[in-house]
Parts: sequence; C-alpha cells; structure tokens
Amino acid sequence: MKRGLIAATGVAAMLVSVAACGSDGDDDKAGADGYKGQTLTVWVMDGSSPDGWTKDVKAAFEKKTGAKLKFEIQQWNGIQQKVTTALSESNPPDVLEIGNTQTPSYAQTGGLAELGDLKKSIGADWSESINKSAVYDGKQYAAPWYAANRVVLYNKKIWAEAGIKDTPKTRTEFFQDLDAIKKKTDAEPIYLPGQNWYFFDGLTIGTGADLVKKDGDKWVSNLADPKVGKAMDIYKQYQSFSKAPKDKDEATPQQGEVFAKGKTGAFIGMGWEAGIAIKANPKIEKDIGYFTIPGETAGKPEGVFLGGSNLAVAAGSEKQELAKEFLKIALNDTYEGQLAKEGGVIPNKESLQAQLKGNPAGQAAAPAAATGGTTPLIPEWAAVENAPNPVKTYMTAVLTGKSPAEAAKSVEDELNKRLSQER
Amino acid sequence: MAVATERQDPGPVAAGVRRGGPPPGTRRPAPGAAGRARLTGAAPYLLLLPALAATALLLGWPLVKDGLLSFQNLNMRQLIQHLTEWNGVDNYREALTSEDFWRVTLRSVIFTAVNVVLIMLFGTLIGLLLARLGSKMRLLLSVGLVLAWAMPTIAATTVFQWLFATRFGVVNWVLDALGWHSMAHYNWTGGQFSTFFVITVLIVWGSIPFVAINLYAATTTIPGELYEAAALDGAGGWKSFTSVTFPFLKPFLLATTFLEVIWVFKAFTQVFAINEGGPDRLTETLPVYAFIEGVGNQHYGMGAAISLLTIAVLLALTSYYLRIVLRQEEDEL
Amino acid sequence: MKRSPLARLWPNAAAVVLFLGFVFPVYWMFTTALKPTSDIISEDPVWFPTGGTLEHFQKAMDAENFWTLVGNSFIVTLSAVGLSLLIALLASFALARMRFKGRRGFLVTFMIAQMAPWEVLVIAIYMLVRDGDMLNSLLPLTLFYMVMVLPFTILTLRAYVAAIPKELEESAMVDGCTRPQAFIRVIFPLLAPGLMATSLFGFITAWNEFPLVLILNKDPGAQTLPLWLSSFQTAFGDDWGATMAAASLFAIPILLLFLFLQRKAVGGLTSGAVKG
Repeated sequence: MKRGLIAATGVAAMLVSVAACGSDGDDDKAGADGYKGQTLTVWVMDGSSPDGWTKDVKAAFEKKTGAKLKFEIQQWNGIQQKVTTALSESNPPDVLEIGNTQTPSYAQTGGLAELGDLKKSIGADWSESINKSAVYDGKQYAAPWYAANRVVLYNKKIWAEAGIKDTPKTRTEFFQDLDAIKKKTDAEPIYLPGQNWYFFDGLTIGTGADLVKKDGDKWVSNLADPKVGKAMDIYKQYQSFSKAPKDKDEATPQQGEVFAKGKTGAFIGMGWEAGIAIKANPKIEKDIGYFTIPGETAGKPEGVFLGGSNLAVAAGSEKQELAKEFLKIALNDTYEGQLAKEGGVIPNKESLQAQLKGNPAGQAAAPAAATGGTTPLIPEWAAVENAPNPVKTYMTAVLTGKSPAEAAKSVEDELNKRLSQER
Repeated sequence: MAVATERQDPGPVAAGVRRGGPPPGTRRPAPGAAGRARLTGAAPYLLLLPALAATALLLGWPLVKDGLLSFQNLNMRQLIQHLTEWNGVDNYREALTSEDFWRVTLRSVIFTAVNVVLIMLFGTLIGLLLARLGSKMRLLLSVGLVLAWAMPTIAATTVFQWLFATRFGVVNWVLDALGWHSMAHYNWTGGQFSTFFVITVLIVWGSIPFVAINLYAATTTIPGELYEAAALDGAGGWKSFTSVTFPFLKPFLLATTFLEVIWVFKAFTQVFAINEGGPDRLTETLPVYAFIEGVGNQHYGMGAAISLLTIAVLLALTSYYLRIVLRQEEDEL
Repeated sequence: MKRSPLARLWPNAAAVVLFLGFVFPVYWMFTTALKPTSDIISEDPVWFPTGGTLEHFQKAMDAENFWTLVGNSFIVTLSAVGLSLLIALLASFALARMRFKGRRGFLVTFMIAQMAPWEVLVIAIYMLVRDGDMLNSLLPLTLFYMVMVLPFTILTLRAYVAAIPKELEESAMVDGCTRPQAFIRVIFPLLAPGLMATSLFGFITAWNEFPLVLILNKDPGAQTLPLWLSSFQTAFGDDWGATMAAASLFAIPILLLFLFLQRKAVGGLTSGAVKG
C-alpha cells in the first residue's frame, strides 16, 4: 500500500517533468532555426542501421532542423542495464532503439516518453502486428521501426539432388521434402538445434497458444496448455530431421557456419544469416535459396516471431520536440523504404513492402509478417528470457524424452517465479 | 608478484633479518631512540592516511551504499525514476530462505576448494620442479608460465571458449584423434560437470604460474646448509622435504592459499563468460548469482543483499587465516 | 651424488610437457588470429599456419574509436597503478616498520578490502558517480581501479619493506640521513622489484576491468578496451579469427610488460615472498 503510494507519486512527478520538457520543446520551435546549436543523440544497436540510411537520414535531419544528429552504435553485451541506467541519468540519449519485446518493460518504468500525438500524425498506417509491441497499457510509448522474421534458408543443390522441384507450400510437404533429402542424399536434411526458441515461439503463435495466462492479477506459466504442447510436437518433428545438439541454441555454433559446409539441406533463420554462411564459404552463395516457413495449409504461412525494434524517446530528454522531428524524418516513407531496401528488413507499413523487391530473403519473410506475433507483451516477460530461459529448458526436456506436460511441469516453478518478480 | 607472507613459524633462518626482536649487532644510536618515539606518534597515521581515505571513500562508501540498497526494492522503474522504496529485510529474507542461495553457496565453497587444492598442489609441484631443473629448461618452463600468467582474463576466457568449441575446437579434435570418438563434437557447455571442468582448467591454468614461480623463488632462499645438515642426519629426499623444505615454505603456502581462496571465490569473468552460469544456472557461483539476480534480472536491491551475503561467506572462509594474522601480529614488533 | 639417466630425464620431460601445456592456449590465440578463415574452421586443426593473414587484425582494429580506446586504457591503467603505488608505499612503510596503536586493525582492514567483490558493487558505485555528476569521465574509473589494486599492493609492498634489513636504514641514519632521506636513498632502490611486481598485478587488474566501465562511461570517447574486446564475442559470434585477433591485441601489452619485468620481479620475489 505504501509502495503503491510512492509509486503513484513517482509517476505523477514523472508526468510533470515530461510535461515540462514538452513545453520547453514548444518554445524551441519558435523559428525555423530554433534547433540550431542543439545535438540530438540517437542510440542504435550494432547492425540495425545500414550506412547509407544513416548518412541520408542525418543529412535530411540536419538540413530540416539545423540541429546536429549523432548516431551512437550500441553493442548488445550488457545493453539492458546500460539502457536502464542511461534512462536514469539527467542527460540520457534522446532517442533509443529498443527491442520490440523489451518495450513494455521500459514503458512501465516511466523512462519512455508517450508518443500518442506522433502516432496520430504519422502512424495511421503502421502495420498492426508490428506496432503492437510499442503500445503499453493503451498508450503509445515508441514508434515501430522495423521487423524481421525467420524464413527457411535452403541449399538448392541438395534439394535438387533429392529430386525436389518446388519449394513446399505446406508443412506436410516440407516434411516430405526433408524426408526425401534424408533418404536420397547424405546431407543432414535440416539443422535445427534444440533451443531455437524464437522458431518455437513462432510455432506457438501458429497454433494460437499463449505462453502465459492471467491467474487473478498475476501472470503464470501456460506451458501446460495443449496448444503449446502441439507447437512443441511440431518442433520435435522438425528436430527429428537434425543431428544438431538438443541443448544448444542456433548461435552456438552459428547455424550459418554449419550450413556453409554444404552438408545441410536447410535451416530456419534470419535472412542475414546467409551472410555468415557466405563469409565462411563464399562458394555456397549461389546455392542458397529462401522460402516462407510453410504453415498447416497452403494459404497461411507458419506463425513467426516478429523480432524487430522500436524507436523510443527518453522521458528525461530535454529535446522532446526535436526527437519527434527526428522520428518524423527517419520513419517517413522515403527513409523507412530505404531501410527496408538496404537492410532487407520488414518496414513498419505494408505499403512499403514493395521495397523488398530484389531481396529474396526479405520477400520470403514478408508474407508471414502480417500474421506474426511476439513473445508475451508484458513487462514481466523480460525476466523470463534471461539466461537460462526456462522455455529453452522446456524445449530440451521434451526433445530428450519428457512429455510436453511433464516438461512444462518441471519448469513451471522457475517460470512463475520470474513472472512474479517485483517490479 | 610476491606474496605478503604472515610468518607464523619463525623458522630457523630468517630470525636474523626478521623484523621484531632486537637485531643483533644493532648500531642504533641511543639519542635517536627518543626522537623515534616522538616521530612514531603521528607519523604512521599520516602515512596511512591516503590509503585509508581512498579505501574509505572509494570502497567503504560504495559498500555502505550497497548496504542501503540491500534494504530497498530497487528495480528498473525505481532506478530510472530515482525512487527509494524501503522494503526492510525482504531481500535478505528472500535470499536466505531460497533454496537456490544455499545451493549456490555450497557449490561456491566446493568449487573454491577444488580449484584451490589443484592450484596449490600443482603449483607447488611445478615450483619444486623448477628448482630441480637445469637453467635452460628452467628458463623454458618459466617463459611458458609467465605467458599463461600474463594472459588477461578476458582474453584467456575467450581463448578457452575457442579451444573447447564444439565444432572446430582443438580439444575435441585431439580427444577424437586419441580414439575417444564420442568426443568429436562434444558440447562442453552442455552439462554442469563439463562446464565446471572447462572453468576449472581455465582457472587452474591461469593461477598455477603465480604459485609456481613464487614458490620457486622462495625455495632459492632456503640456505643450502639446512639440507646439508639434514643429509648429515641421514635424511633422504622425502625426509629433507618434510623436515626442511616444507617447514620453510609453510608460511608462504598459507599466505598463497589465502590469496587463492579469495581470487577463486571471487572469480567472475571466467565463470560468467564461459557459459553465463549455465546450463540451467547450474554453474553459478555466488558472485555470478549475485550478478544475475541483481544486474541481469535488474533487481538491484536483491543483488545488493546477495553481494553482502557473498562477502560474509568469504569472510567466514578466510577467518581462519585472518585469525592467525591477528594473533601473530600481536606478538610482533 | 650421481643421478641415474632416468632421474635426470624425467624432470626435463615434465618441463617440456608443462611448457607446451601452458603455452598452447597463447600460441593458439596468436596462430588462429593469423590464419585464413578456411584454416580456422577446418575439420583437422592446422597446427602450424602456413600462409599468414592480417585480415583478422584489420577487422579487429577497424572498430570506431579504436585508438581512443587504446589511449583511454593506457591513461586509466597507468594512472591507477601509479597512484596506488604511491599511496601503498607510504602505507606499507608504516605497517612494516612502525609500531602504533591500531596497526593490526589496519592490516586486517586491508586484507578484508582485498575481498571486495567489485562486480556486484557496480550499481552502488554507479549511483554514487551518477549523483556526483561524474559519469563519462576517466577520473572515477582511475580512482576505483586504484582502490581495487590498493590492498594487494599495500600488503605485498609491506612484505618487501619488511624484508629489507632494518640495519641498512639505521646505518644510513647514523650517517646523518633523516628518516625520509634514508627511505629514499636506501630502501626505495631495494624496493624496485617489489614495485615492479605489484605494478604488474595492478596493471593486469585495471587493464581487464569491464563491468564498471560498461555502465559508468556510455560516451564512446570515454570507454576502454575491454568493452571493445567483449563486443567482439557478441558481434561476431563464432568469428574466431577476428575474436582471437582482438584477444591478441588486448593481451600483447601485458605479455610484453610481463616478459620485460618478470626477470627483475622474480629476482625480487625472493625477498618479498618469504621473509615476511
């Protein structure tokens, strides 16, 4: 009760300060050159923004506002505490890239500015599946920047060797193809380690399962739900075609490097992972093909986890208006389209998907985006994904012989503990 | 690097040079003594002042702050909004009643014990070996030891990940080549025991040089006459070791063990970087546990409480040695 | 006493085996860094690189601000080590040579200070530094690194000071030196090995420090090399060539320093290690 009171006061204080910042911004807006002499700092993650995009956006922004723009590339290592502490500082970065699934936890801290008016002015046609993560408690706390989802990367040579003419349109066809590779070639049909958890998350989205459910006012594990079990069965079926370790994820070893050896029929990964394979073995480039992960029926692709990022404005930034100016420029059709084109990522609007033309990986990914989903968009979820992610533990348990129900039971306590951690 | 040795047993040799007891044949002038007494009034405190001030300000203050945080509910939101939410002893209660904490504590103690025993045992053996080698071979081995010793922890950890990599890792290749084919693609970080094995090899590899080189240096100060005397008494190799070498080195070994206990117990980079405490949190030692609970899960108050408990455990582990130091310093000077 | 050939052989054989064991990881780091990628990910390890490439090193050094980071690392490390030596010298002299009330207490204080688990204190430190408005500066970093190595430096130097026969100092005083003069002229030169040994320890500790700089200094202009090295592991995943090149670059200054100082330091260990 006391804590609630303190928390409420805190939020009130925060709102006041945001309001104050907002009015500062309004003052600044006075002249066209009102921003002159200011510098806007933008944190983007390593690998997110292509060079051409960065350069063009910077030029456009500086021309329009007269202010300077500074992109600071952030490394992934320790990024969460870095962002948390940065948001607590008096001079935080003004705009930050925040992973879509992490946005709710930052939104609930009060560290992000509310962007409802921005959504009104430029966000009318943001894809709903992509924008979902930027909304918390009914309020817009970030602007969707881009999304990315997994596709099947396959080795055309091996598929041809197995006598497969066309890429599969349904999951059943896909399994038949894998079986053909297994029988007719000496290649591993698919490389799928036991803990490719985002692929599994996509499968649960496909079966309509929820990983968590509400129990009173608390979130608890829903892994025992038969729909989750069904998704896991599908995963297990895929995994039975692979010799990959059951207790590792797709990054150890990098599945692209395994694929690069040319002895693997396919793997499920991000489009850019082809680059890893090509780097390890340039000769593989001409053999790599992509297709959308097929679903149960031909018309509807498999559910996918939509990774991606939002751009948020720090509540403590003193340049709220300038930050919004930046977002208006960076997210307009020209630059959002350029990002999709250069980066091969799914843009935040369906109308811009045409920019993916000429990018086979992006084109394979795009069809699934509309029906994609994310991990549960609750602040509590962030704790679940901290290593060791209990869902990964669950996956390994099922793959090594436990029934989904048993496996769910064995990790439930840990999962619930993490979901109930005080915020 | 040398070890601050707290001499327990004066040993036969050092008495002459040892501080304390009136040095034989001292030329201390009588008038000087009075001057010294005056000088020693404030001087030691003045000399210690910078060190104490720095320690109090830069270590004491953060510790106090950490203590205060440990009684707070401090998560992302509170940190970002600069809120202070006291929650009494909740963090301590939660930590101390959780099975995890005790399991991790026990694991840390065993982990420390195993590593320290291995380090001291092999460090001592290699140190004695150095003493036995000819000068060329000694130089060769010393260079090897120094290279291992000098590898920065982060770099060494990275290298060991590469050595033990599942695919293309040279360790697996060697095991396979030696006929142990099931190890060809062995995943070292897949299990608790194998992960600890890698961490232990890394730590022991990196820590032995310190012990071995210092121990060798120490043996060179054992006067030859002692061995001659022992030989006259008919002592063989083993006997002269137990009657001369070991007693002479005992204080050194004790001090080194103390340091190794601290260093191994606190080892963070090695344990964390190899497998981030995994699989399934089964290789978390106390510092890693404090870090994951506090910083990783962003429950900073909880992390603070665990970090203070970690210090308490370490103090308990080293209390034996600290007591010896206290007792012995009483007799000195 | 003549030893049988076998008895002479086994220590040498053991030495060679141990040498290989200790050197191999270092060797493997450097050779991996120099090998072309195809040799790194090959089913059979390439033990001796044939064609070397500097490609991995280029990639590693290609990082933005690389030289700023190098500069920062050196500034912070050298200042931290220098300061701690200075402060420790004063303190160790008092602890080794003087008799005063509370001496044991101070000694134990430093022993306990040595146990501080810095990794888990970072948030407390961060909040103090943040509230003192000192973020993104090399100064707090330097000071904290200094204190991280201070206890060890004091305790070790104390042993070195204690090992220097008092008579030397006293005879200097008889010859008309004041105590500080005696210290500077007589003791200080004899302490050189001790100073080197402790500075090695300080150097390696400060050079390695990672968790603190990660959250104190978010401005890329105020960061240090460990951040750069650790970013490799995540940014390049299993790109072992570049990672090993980065690790090599990171290790080289320390390896050189050790090889350069170790002879003198080890010589000095004799006094420091035993004659506590």
